[in-house]
Amino acid sequence: MKTINSEHHLDLTKEDEKVFSTLNLGPTHPATHGIFQNILTMNGETIVGAEQTIGYIHRAFEKIAERRPYYQITTLTDRLNYCSSPINNIGWHLAVEKLLGVETNKRIDYMRIIVMELARIADHLICNSVIGVDSGALTGFVYVFEEREKIYEIYEELCGARLTTNLGRVGGFDRDFTAVAIQKIRDLMKGLPKVLHEFEKLLMRNRIFMDRTINVGAISAERALNYGFTGPNLRAAGVDYDVRVQEPYSSYNDFDFVVPIGQNGDTYDRYCVRQTELWESIKLVNNALENLPEGKFNAEVPAFFMPPKEDVYSKMEPLISHFKMVMGEIDVPEKEIYEAVEGANGELGFYVVANGGRSPYRLHFRRPGFIYYQAFPEMITGSALSDAILTMSSMNVIAGELDA
Amino acid sequence: MEYNTLLQALKDKFGDSILSADDTADFFTLVVASDIIKQLISFLKEEQNFIFLTDLCGIHYPEQEKELGVIYHLHNLVENKRIRLKIFVTKANPQVDSIVPIFSGANWMERETFDFYGIDFVGHPNLKRILNVDFMDYHPMRKEYPLEDATRSDKDDRFFGR
Repeated sequence: MKTINSEHHLDLTKEDEKVFSTLNLGPTHPATHGIFQNILTMNGETIVGAEQTIGYIHRAFEKIAERRPYYQITTLTDRLNYCSSPINNIGWHLAVEKLLGVETNKRIDYMRIIVMELARIADHLICNSVIGVDSGALTGFVYVFEEREKIYEIYEELCGARLTTNLGRVGGFDRDFTAVAIQKIRDLMKGLPKVLHEFEKLLMRNRIFMDRTINVGAISAERALNYGFTGPNLRAAGVDYDVRVQEPYSSYNDFDFVVPIGQNGDTYDRYCVRQTELWESIKLVNNALENLPEGKFNAEVPAFFMPPKEDVYSKMEPLISHFKMVMGEIDVPEKEIYEAVEGANGELGFYVVANGGRSPYRLHFRRPGFIYYQAFPEMITGSALSDAILTMSSMNVIAGELDA
Repeated sequence: MEYNTLLQALKDKFGDSILSADDTADFFTLVVASDIIKQLISFLKEEQNFIFLTDLCGIHYPEQEKELGVIYHLHNLVENKRIRLKIFVTKANPQVDSIVPIFSGANWMERETFDFYGIDFVGHPNLKRILNVDFMDYHPMRKEYPLEDATRSDKDDRFFGR
């Protein structure tokens, strides 16, 4: 990077004396979809260097978690990737179950798959439609948001909340799927394919969209692995790594689904991989719903399974045990574990060191967005500013997850 | 790949620097001397297919002589095996070789670990705070900085709307 030297007369015809301008993009910029700051060094319209500043919404989750009982940490995970909080919640519950050595039955597993895949659909819908928005096609975004709204209504039916869901419990769920919930899922699954087809018609083979995204923000498979990419971003580069297949959790191995991969690792490939994953998720939800076994909706973990609310309000013992659970007066075994789930944007890992007390001794979230966002400068160097915006939205970086 | 063969290969190469090994945890866990970590990770990547750095984080055990730890999670994507490496350093000399030349993705993970635990990654291209403000003068995840007592009553909450 060159700086202006006042003693020399500027001669822009000579390459080595070119003066670059600095452009501050963010922290609050309408095109960055979150609080990200990038200080770009520009040569005209071309980016020659970038430095990111992150941490604007750092909330010290890992420190807070060292004092919180295990149940109260679920609400922290909500606020990581808030576009698909149920995956974070269930991932955390799976981690605690691994710590306690709890086995869940098939019904719980399938219910979890339904919820997690719905969350994945919601997350991918946002990400892909936002790529459209940033390339100038607002229509698709508004169109698929109605479907996302329906998914949020399903969350509401399942747990009462929409964005920060705190869904499920250690060992399963707090209640069974209601008939209304199942009907809502069926309705969604009936209507979604048509909407998705139309959404694809808008963008997938659209000449303008293809010109704007192909070969934009490309990364090779080797670099992507070196940078610790996971999820759709890694698969777009051509590596078929998916936690659901590599280390099946929650009975994902009962289902047959395709792990789509791309070739060039560019914005278009990332879009296509997500789009294909949407179809696979629909297939998974349908299969799981159709084959939903009978059984209980919670595993035998009396120390962690909260009694029914009506009992808590009317009887003494359930009230006591509910209080004890929420306040974390339960000891967990001394153990250290790493549990990973396939989040909507990559491998979401929970590294827990438990020393037997009511809270973890150390909890580290492996946040996929935090790890792959550092490749951003390398991906945009040499491209135009407008392409950098597209690259960023196609990477699906979520500020809450980035900053923890 | 069996853990015993891997352990033997590592012991042949690094000898006494492999301090302890444990395969009873969820995956193979090694505690090694802090000065060999770069060579060890390089060896694991080049010759044992551990081509993916899943995670890197710090930990603090105030009661130990070597208080600060760094924990690496590597993933062998070819055989789908994970491994966990741990090193410990003293608070007075928290120097650890940076592995950014081996894994570019370690850049921010090491910065985060420096930010929260004060581990000095030698050879890191840009070791500065990442999530906390630059002028912070302590490393907040260390155990000597407890969270605020939730029951304290000396604070004037009027300004916070509580």
